[in-house]
Amino acid sequence: MTKDQFIERLKAGLSGLKAEAIADIAADYEAHFAEAAAAGRSEADVAAALGDPGRLARELKAEAGMKNWESAKTPSAAAGAVLGIIGLGALDILVLLPILGGVVGTLIGVFTAAIGIFIAGGVLFAAGPFTPLPGGVAAAMLGGVGVMAGAAALGAFTAVLSVWLVNGLIWYGRLHYRVLKPALDN
Amino acid sequence: MPETIDIQMKKGVLGLCVLAVLARGESYAYEIASRLSDAIGMGEGTIYPLMRRMQSDGLVDTYLVESSAGPSRKYYRLTSAGHRALQDQSSEWRGFTDAVDALLDPTPTVTQEA
Repeated sequence: MTKDQFIERLKAGLSGLKAEAIADIAADYEAHFAEAAAAGRSEADVAAALGDPGRLARELKAEAGMKNWESAKTPSAAAGAVLGIIGLGALDILVLLPILGGVVGTLIGVFTAAIGIFIAGGVLFAAGPFTPLPGGVAAAMLGGVGVMAGAAALGAFTAVLSVWLVNGLIWYGRLHYRVLKPALDN
Repeated sequence: MPETIDIQMKKGVLGLCVLAVLARGESYAYEIASRLSDAIGMGEGTIYPLMRRMQSDGLVDTYLVESSAGPSRKYYRLTSAGHRALQDQSSEWRGFTDAVDALLDPTPTVTQEA
């Protein structure tokens, strides 16, 4: 593979990242080829030592997605990180996906239920003073607060579980790096 | 976050080696990579993602130097945070290897108590 082919395939694989990041990464590898050429190495030799540019691009993208998730735990960052891991295309991850889909569905269901229960608690609290409920006004209002607190706890628990799930997935995804894995093994 | 000892050790050591190389003198990625691939057999492509990560973590910063032949080179130097990280990690590394060495030592040294 020539230098131009390598850079072209790397850039193509990185599409989706910020243009600036792609240019930075490509410039690093172009400089690498230039230095190696000055040291008398052939382009084919250098390209072989660097590894498959498509694979390298996929791992760099996965890493960027995970970095994003580590700095901000938002749903879209989570989606980006998970997409990057799927992009690694490891067979066992693809097998894992349907199972994971079930778990994610359950989490979303529980979270939605928590929101519903919270609203119900709010309604109970607000309606307490105006509705003739058994136990009196104070009991209705206290009950409403209790239900809301329970729902908040359930929601928080689901959120923690989700973060934990994505972190676990990232850990698992990183085990699948081939090019980026520090190639210490001789 | 749990990681296998293997990956974690290699990752940590690689970063430490780069910090150590840069503490001896500011350098550019190709030179760092060729030194490390001679010394510890690191794959040469690994250096770029690592340098990007260290830069975003604020351990190194870069500046351009005109080169006599070809385009200007991107040099890396340690920031003060990088120097601190080198100090912390090397004392951690020494403590760790000393402990392992002591375990591997077939004749354990008996400490005499006064």
